[in-house]
Amino acid sequence: MKKLLASIGIVAAAGILLTACTGTGQENAGTVDKKTDLTYAVVTHSGPGDAFWDRVKSGAEQAGKDYGAKINYNSDPDPAKQSQLIDNAVAQKVDGIVVSMANPDGVEASVKKAVAAGIPVVTINSGIERSKEFGAITHVGQSETVAGEEVGKKLKEEGWKNALCVIQEAGNVGLEERCKATASTFGGTLANLQVDGTNDADVKATIKSKLQADPTIDGVLTLGGQYAIDAVGAVDESGSKAKVATFDLSEDVVSNIESGKIVFAVDQQPYVQGFLGVTALYLKSINGNDIGGGQPVYSGPAFVTKENAAQVAKFAKQGTR
Amino acid sequence: MSTEAPAAAPQTPTASAVPLIEARDIGKRYGSVRALGGVSTVVKAGEVTCVLGDNGAGKSTFIKILAGSHQQSDGELLIDGTPTHFSSPRAALDAGIATVYQDLAVVPLMPVWRNFFLGSEPTTGAGPFRKLDVKQMKATTFTELDNMGIRLRDVDQPIGTLSGGERQCVAIARAVYFGARVLILDEPTAALGVKQSGVVLRYIARARDRGLGVVFITHNPHHAYPIGDRFMLLQRGESLGTFPKSEISLEELTGMMAGGAELETLAHELARSGGSAAEVARELRAEVDALPTDTASAQSPAESPAAAAASAEPDAR
Amino acid sequence: MTTTDLVTVANRRSLDRSRLKRLFTRPEIGALVAAIAVLVFFSVYTGQFFSLPGAGVWLESASTFGIMAVAVALLMIGGEFDLSSGVMTGFTALIVGVLTTHYGLNIWVAVVIALIVALGVGALNGYLVMKTGLPSFIVTLGTFFVLAGIDLALTKVITGQVSIQGMTQVPLYDSIQPVFGSSVEIGGGNFYVSVLWWVAVTVVATWVLLRTRAGNWIFAVGGAQTAARQIGVPVLKTKIGLFMTTAGAGWLVGMISLFRTSTVQANTGVGQEFIYIICAVVGGCLLTGGFGSAIGAALGALIYGMTFQGITFAQWDTNWLRTFLGAMLLGAVFLNHWVRIRAGGGSR
Repeated sequence: MKKLLASIGIVAAAGILLTACTGTGQENAGTVDKKTDLTYAVVTHSGPGDAFWDRVKSGAEQAGKDYGAKINYNSDPDPAKQSQLIDNAVAQKVDGIVVSMANPDGVEASVKKAVAAGIPVVTINSGIERSKEFGAITHVGQSETVAGEEVGKKLKEEGWKNALCVIQEAGNVGLEERCKATASTFGGTLANLQVDGTNDADVKATIKSKLQADPTIDGVLTLGGQYAIDAVGAVDESGSKAKVATFDLSEDVVSNIESGKIVFAVDQQPYVQGFLGVTALYLKSINGNDIGGGQPVYSGPAFVTKENAAQVAKFAKQGTR
Repeated sequence: MSTEAPAAAPQTPTASAVPLIEARDIGKRYGSVRALGGVSTVVKAGEVTCVLGDNGAGKSTFIKILAGSHQQSDGELLIDGTPTHFSSPRAALDAGIATVYQDLAVVPLMPVWRNFFLGSEPTTGAGPFRKLDVKQMKATTFTELDNMGIRLRDVDQPIGTLSGGERQCVAIARAVYFGARVLILDEPTAALGVKQSGVVLRYIARARDRGLGVVFITHNPHHAYPIGDRFMLLQRGESLGTFPKSEISLEELTGMMAGGAELETLAHELARSGGSAAEVARELRAEVDALPTDTASAQSPAESPAAAAASAEPDAR
Repeated sequence: MTTTDLVTVANRRSLDRSRLKRLFTRPEIGALVAAIAVLVFFSVYTGQFFSLPGAGVWLESASTFGIMAVAVALLMIGGEFDLSSGVMTGFTALIVGVLTTHYGLNIWVAVVIALIVALGVGALNGYLVMKTGLPSFIVTLGTFFVLAGIDLALTKVITGQVSIQGMTQVPLYDSIQPVFGSSVEIGGGNFYVSVLWWVAVTVVATWVLLRTRAGNWIFAVGGAQTAARQIGVPVLKTKIGLFMTTAGAGWLVGMISLFRTSTVQANTGVGQEFIYIICAVVGGCLLTGGFGSAIGAALGALIYGMTFQGITFAQWDTNWLRTFLGAMLLGAVFLNHWVRIRAGGGSR
């Protein structure tokens, strides 16, 4: 039995050691000052290692730092697991929850439960249509429909006729919606192309083979910054004349816009979503404010073109745009 | 020395008129390849029929036909006088023919009692609540093995921890318990040392005395001769004939085994040339005599370290 | 099976006489000790982990993994893998979703149809594995990709979307939802019915494994398939039954997930199959078959669920989540292994 206890001790010690390395332990637990004791959970539907969501996280964490609040960022693309993460936050009795709702039905029960438990909820990014119904204070994000329609119009202006819409995550409702909304105002043909977003080499190869198979394709629309870079590579290698445009930004996307390889990017400004999401909760905590007045707060779309790319480049470099 | 007619078996007065198994000119082809041909023999209650042959002589093909794993393509297989083709091992089992394979058909990680009843588990209760009769299974396993002279400390131990001889005996005890009339033993002594082989031979005798017909497959005439009532020799898929014990001596049997005749010719040739070659010839002759015993005492890979470790423990009797 | 396995098992069994010692030779004992260690660690380290609200969260998280892990453990004891088990959870839920929201079929009928289709796919898996003699790893990898493709393509073609929406508006939804997706509140914690399913599946699987003929056959076909066949065990029937069980468990988890969230996405369950295998192995199953336990697999899932949610409770930087998860699981497996060796050799 002694040995069992000893081994438990070993596991415990190992865990503590690991935490010590991250430097995010609970050193501030037990402080009296209410303002520095706030904890907010940010639960998104991101998969691991996604550049866009890293900006949301940065924004949320910056806000947390500025306001002296602790931010717990968690994510899972599976709605059932995302629900569990929300339940988890409720069980921890956090002071507020920021949640992105790619599949509102999937997290409905958990969000409503959080609201019922008296925890303020702000929705960000997706789920704008259901945010109010679920009892969230407000929604910070862009309407995928509005953004998609704007992109469609812009592509039409650019003179695209036969384009690809590259979907990097099978089954992501938001992405499907972007393509659909773009197609609605585009006028030309917009064919969806499924790729495996966790494997950039594969994304590039898939786009390349599609371009080679159909030389009439004159444009590639990607739905994430990193995939625009894959598309640029694929266009180069296939010798196709197709142009590239994309949703969402990254440092590389901006430099490609400057050099003319990407026509434009539509930026929904993820940093804003994370920052404003936490801000809305903070205002609720310290002053009981409900911002937005029952309406969503739009974080975009902001178009980045050759004209304004230079000024965006600086922030993209920091990983905040 | 002549092949035995089915009628000539006067040394066993208890044998019934109809043999349990009679093979008439049985053969097996795989496509155009002839694996076995012209095999005729009988198996009678209370007698041991030995099948002798070197590796690749066709012994395993023959027993697979008897055990129902394969079907003969030529000749007739008579069970209790009725021509039969077994469709599956199950069909052979149902006809009372139980086979103890070289790998013993035991599952090493499973407890002895589960192995003992594997495939024929007794149950109690009805419908969805039908469950294994664990108590009876354990008790029966213990008693049956005890009858065979194996006293296990714990029938719950994995069978892989028993010694090779003990596992062999569990397999035999299992076949006897489940009402086998014919017991086919595939090389039961091949992986065993001298002492363990003796133990197994005793169990074969015990099974025979209970009135079972035994088919004992081996390449060792020294193991076969003391216990066998008749001997069938196989060489390269052909039968060399079946001989009652009265018509064949151990020396003749050994000589006919495993290319023994060819080795002898070679020994003669070498002896004539004299000198160092005569030395080789003497060794060769010694080898001819000792050949099966040597192979028998060699440890086969089947004897795992664990089993060896287990057999190092004080013997269970 | 390797010699080492046998030696380990042999050591564990040797010279054990007392009841306590015998308890320590069970395959799940290591997992039990590891589960207690994880529970104690997070309970001490975080405030809310060891509370009713906290337990509700990690039990729910463990439950769906647990149901699958138990079925997968049976299959692994029987010597096979099923890589299509993860995608099966999404596949069955999508069948129900499409049939009800798009074709307006009665929801109870749709749920039964999904079960029948799942069992059919399971039987096909088993039949292909047994008839071709190919490793189940390859055959079920094929089924996995086929199903994943169908999930995406058919859902999109039929509904024009990649996820099922509007399930709650389906007639009779409220009559079936409680069966799979309801929860009760106890002391501020939400306990989902999936936890009961998990316990029930574990109990039934343990009963089957240890006290029925089928259980004997499962151990036999996994431990020594040729021997089992020679002795008259219906190998084909047993293995096909096992694949059908895994598929059936996939259906159950699919329903739980569907009625818990009232939606299902085309990519649901993809990649989960390895977690089930991991839980079964943490719970004491040998990758080579013939040895393991259902309770162990359930405990393996509990360890996974507690660790997964515990890391969130501990508020560690979740960029490191997978690293923590991996380290904790390794720790649990080492502890498990250590206990098994200790328990076996302790009497020497």
